[in-house]
Amino acid sequence: MRRIFHAVLVSLCLLGNCSLLYAADGEVDFLDDAFYEEAPEENAVRDPFEGINRVVFTFNDYAFIWVLNPLANGYSKLLPSDIRGAIANVFYNLQEPMRFINSLLQVRFSDAGTLLTRFTVNTIGGVGGLGDPASELGFEKTEATFCQTLDNWGVPDGIFLMVPVMGPTTLRDISGRVVDRFSLSPIYYNWAAGWEESVGIYMGKEVNNLSLHLGEYEAMKKMSFDPYIAVRDGFYQLRRQRWQNSMSSSDAVVEPLE
Amino acid sequence: MQIFRRVLVVLLFLTLLPLTQQVSAATPDPTEQLKPVVDKVVSLLKDAEFRKKPVVEQSDVIVKIVAERFDFREMSKRVMGKQWRTLNPEQKDQFVALFTKLLQYVYINQVDGYLDKKIEFTDQRIRRDRAEVKTLLVGADKRIPVSYIMLLEKDNWMAYDIVVEGVSLIRNYMEQISTVLRDEKFPGLIKMLENKITKLEAGEKEE
Repeated sequence: MRRIFHAVLVSLCLLGNCSLLYAADGEVDFLDDAFYEEAPEENAVRDPFEGINRVVFTFNDYAFIWVLNPLANGYSKLLPSDIRGAIANVFYNLQEPMRFINSLLQVRFSDAGTLLTRFTVNTIGGVGGLGDPASELGFEKTEATFCQTLDNWGVPDGIFLMVPVMGPTTLRDISGRVVDRFSLSPIYYNWAAGWEESVGIYMGKEVNNLSLHLGEYEAMKKMSFDPYIAVRDGFYQLRRQRWQNSMSSSDAVVEPLE
Repeated sequence: MQIFRRVLVVLLFLTLLPLTQQVSAATPDPTEQLKPVVDKVVSLLKDAEFRKKPVVEQSDVIVKIVAERFDFREMSKRVMGKQWRTLNPEQKDQFVALFTKLLQYVYINQVDGYLDKKIEFTDQRIRRDRAEVKTLLVGADKRIPVSYIMLLEKDNWMAYDIVVEGVSLIRNYMEQISTVLRDEKFPGLIKMLENKITKLEAGEKEE
């Protein structure tokens, strides 16, 4: 097992010999001109499969317009937003143990404490995570994924990928997501009798999430003249922002290995 | 001689230091300057009579109000990045005009989604001649943070970027523009902008 893990790490490093343009290590300050001056073409995002990625993007676009969006639209009319919010909370709560483990791996001990408290409080007090009483008690949500753990350990981002249905990601992030997914299997996917149901649960989660963010993708598409690039850049910017927020609340930040 | 020069520099610095502090003490408040403009635009766009006018007319009125607090030239300059210096004056003007137009239509289009939301001015921070004014769009079931990044020009704070949920609009356009410039050079970019603007002017929905 360990050897496989090593092999994966090494191959990630080899494939992903790239600039960490948007990684969590460079802090963003919008008042700083450096943020605008890093010329995109110089330390460009590594996107050697841009051609294929664009094809997948077009596919996703159609899937979104003709399948996912109508589904989420109908769904949002079926259920009021507070119930959809509660469903999202349940899914979020189920992932809390994985966040706890990742925060330990990232040496963010006070965040680990917060996450453990959140899981306990919300599972018991929030009836299996339907509500989020922990936030009201001051234990705010904090993100800790295996993607961040890998970043923390110095694994570079690798190439940019556009994955069918799932959308934008990088080689490192998709590996991280797979690890997170499998580490959840004992509590999460044992419910499902087979892969069909797993897919069902996944789609249910995605449609539910989408129903809470209706119209955002269209708005973004409308304002950009190259939506593919807009989505790609939006992905990196959002991720940097999110990680920065979760890292700034941590008590110890490990220097990435060079 | 060198020592003399160094002393002179230090002296000059010391005399200027209190001056800069005085200047910063007298700087106007960015939120106070921005808020009336944003409020005016939102109230206009909520006005049903005004919304009946053609999009082109709406945009002409709005750009006059917005130009008071938004520096479109600075935006265009930043969005071009290093390429800005390679353009000749006519190209610069052409690009500024088109990009300004694009931003207007984008703004009007976006506001549709904001009409049921309230804008709260939550916070601001100032560093030298830069400021970030933080606002929150409060809707029925979500809250979207929107920041205005501003530059002090004489006595006026002028916005040159809008950051929505941590995503910088200018940075996002910068990435798109550099890709178009790489593949199709400046004429291609102008054509692309013109196409997008015609589409937005017609108010047509894509697909």
